[in-house]
Amino acid sequence: MKFSRRDLLIGTAGATAGIVFTPVPWKLLGDVSIWSQNWPWIPQPAHGPIETTLSACTLCAAGCGMRVRMAAGFPVGISGVANHPLTKGALCPLGYAAHQLNWHPARLLQVRHSGRASSWPEAQAALAAACAEGPIAVVDGRPGRAASLTLETFAAKRNGSYQTVLGPETQALAPYAAWSGVPASALGYDLENARTIVSFGAPLLDGWGTPGRFTRLWSARAAGQSDPQLRLIQIEPVLSHTAARAWRWVAVREGTQDALAAALARVLVEEHLVKAQGPLPEMTLEQAAVQAGLPIAEIRDLAHAMVEHGPTVVITSDGDPAVAALNVLLGAIGTPGGISLKSKVSPQHGAASTASAKFRATLLDASVPWDLIPPTQGEVFRFAAWDGGGSKADWLLPSPGFLEELTDIPTAPTSATETYTIATNLLAQPQETQTAAQFLRKIDASLADVDKSIHARCEQIFQVKLGTIYAGQTKPVSQFESAAKMEEQLRKGGVWLGESPRNATLHCTLKTWPATSAPASPTDWTSSWAPPVLPPLASKLYQESTVREAPAGRPA
Amino acid sequence: MTARYGMVIDLDRCTGCGACMIACAAENNVPPAAPRATWRTGVTPMLVHTLSNGKEGVDRREAFLPIACMQCEHETPCVSVCPQQAVELDKSTGIVMQMPQRCLGCRYCMTACPYHARYFNWWDPQWPPGMEHSLNPGVSVRMRGVVEKCNLCHARYHDALQKAAAAGKKEIDLADYVPACVEACPTGAIAFGNLADPNDPVTLAAKSPDAFRLLEAIGTEPKIHYKTTQAWIRALADRKAARPTEAQHV
Repeated sequence: MKFSRRDLLIGTAGATAGIVFTPVPWKLLGDVSIWSQNWPWIPQPAHGPIETTLSACTLCAAGCGMRVRMAAGFPVGISGVANHPLTKGALCPLGYAAHQLNWHPARLLQVRHSGRASSWPEAQAALAAACAEGPIAVVDGRPGRAASLTLETFAAKRNGSYQTVLGPETQALAPYAAWSGVPASALGYDLENARTIVSFGAPLLDGWGTPGRFTRLWSARAAGQSDPQLRLIQIEPVLSHTAARAWRWVAVREGTQDALAAALARVLVEEHLVKAQGPLPEMTLEQAAVQAGLPIAEIRDLAHAMVEHGPTVVITSDGDPAVAALNVLLGAIGTPGGISLKSKVSPQHGAASTASAKFRATLLDASVPWDLIPPTQGEVFRFAAWDGGGSKADWLLPSPGFLEELTDIPTAPTSATETYTIATNLLAQPQETQTAAQFLRKIDASLADVDKSIHARCEQIFQVKLGTIYAGQTKPVSQFESAAKMEEQLRKGGVWLGESPRNATLHCTLKTWPATSAPASPTDWTSSWAPPVLPPLASKLYQESTVREAPAGRPA
Repeated sequence: MTARYGMVIDLDRCTGCGACMIACAAENNVPPAAPRATWRTGVTPMLVHTLSNGKEGVDRREAFLPIACMQCEHETPCVSVCPQQAVELDKSTGIVMQMPQRCLGCRYCMTACPYHARYFNWWDPQWPPGMEHSLNPGVSVRMRGVVEKCNLCHARYHDALQKAAAAGKKEIDLADYVPACVEACPTGAIAFGNLADPNDPVTLAAKSPDAFRLLEAIGTEPKIHYKTTQAWIRALADRKAARPTEAQHV
């Protein structure tokens, strides 16, 4: 049979028509649409076995419990630990994207000297030379850790100075420390037993202290109730996120919180609303009211509201003694629902200080806030995992990033009970990085190793047999067979909770009404966040939504 | 049993912290905001709006309104307009599903959505180099040119289904299926449950006198319910959902 041109055309037409009735075109259409969703430049998630590990966040002093999902050896998701005794399953907004930080464009992986690439041996030689020439200062932003012991010992062995920078929440407890003689780090707030909380600008619902602690408490006892079990009175010039949700918002004039505190003190004492007889401020009620920009009747009403639903505690954002003195009048020192004293198993540290000009060199640990610039003429060695820009440090030394460092987390600021957590390094530490403790041990090998110090700390907790360990379930320390078993639980993301506060032994005496302190620099919603950069997803909060202001000087 | 997954968002508990937005984006591999992205051109499957009573000084009051896909049950607007069948209402869960592979990017669904809860990918999804290692392997990255929205963390639903199947069960344990925003909310303002179960706490909360749904009058039967004791918040929420760009005052 001869194959004609007509046969070819008929065959082609038939095949074209027939193919429509086969799965081929539909399969091709489907495949094309799938291919077009997967261009080579579209990032693909890493695949591999998924494991979930418990750990603790190291990005601020709160040490929130975290559940980290790991895939192919990388963290791919972070969530809270539902029954965690401190954080109750909550994290701050930024914590949910913290696992992206290690790839932030500002990540530091190169030693820099005066802006130029350098090396670890050169940095070591420079610090060793500085130590030989004069005293040095070692500044620690998170005292009480195992690494802190290494830093402190190094400074002591070289006749240097070990200095600490306390966070704003610990700093706010400084007046009580001065009046009682107890270190601020040993003090906390017994929020769980308070029924009225008067906050002078403290962002209680916006990341203050341990984020989950107060928010969960407020949600259970106050949210949406016209006559709540827990009354939150927010005294602040602007309607902040906390003020918006408070039981009562008092819009005081900017910078006059001390005047309002003085007015409240006068009403509390003169109208016998409290047992205390004084001391009293020099300012009269009328003068204070004019200064604060509030009617006297409103101040009187506020004073009555403060005492009618006790126990009441006053919380300040900046540790102004003139405001903190209200707690002395209210009898909120060393009483349930007030300022409490923790049990003393943890090492305690003193007041904040900063390096002075007399030091030959200053070493800043990675925990020191990026914007802290020591007033020194000497060389500055600055450890950091991310470059926040505009560094005045002579040496910029890359330190491990998020989840890349074995560290421990002492008691969270504001906590009424002592706590202890170990954050193990879930990721391998990049070889380009060193912690300050590792760096100093290369100069002086006799210094304590962090791992061994953590081990010793666990032994100490086991020996005193106090408190409980939470690692999925709560178990008293006394029921552990050995320190090693207890340490194992802590290294798997457990948390140690100390004994109840020793309230009876805390007393503050106040002979005269204290003067106000200089107002602290204004803070924003990222103030508690230690890294100088934000996770890129933070842009959702202030660029794609108006729920937040863009933070100044902290790139996402 | 047919489930009807939904939420009750207690606006009196929402502090506007934004944890739900970040947790949602991290879970669903939503990229960071492109340089020119705004609330409308970016991708925020869960978006928190600020409500204000419009007054100044001591009389000013503010509240926060989280808006995600409302999972409309009745005459679902996006389903009915999609020419590609890229959107469908899952009969077994009540979740309005978006299939980016089928989407041709016409954005009819965005126009039809009365809640402005759908987003178009105007830009290629981009992360800083290396950050793709931090992406959730359970969710594929959507490309430029398609619409997306909240699907109640469907990947987590699949995980719960797999867990149930491994245990020889046909139905999931609701404790295994918790969307990321619900898990992240530090005040527990977002409650998630099965509205088809009359004894589910979420069903009971949805029937409380303080509960309401956005734009209830248009009859789309959303499965996202809200709750507040404040009349002014309730009055503003509807108007904000309908016209998000305009300042709404009581």
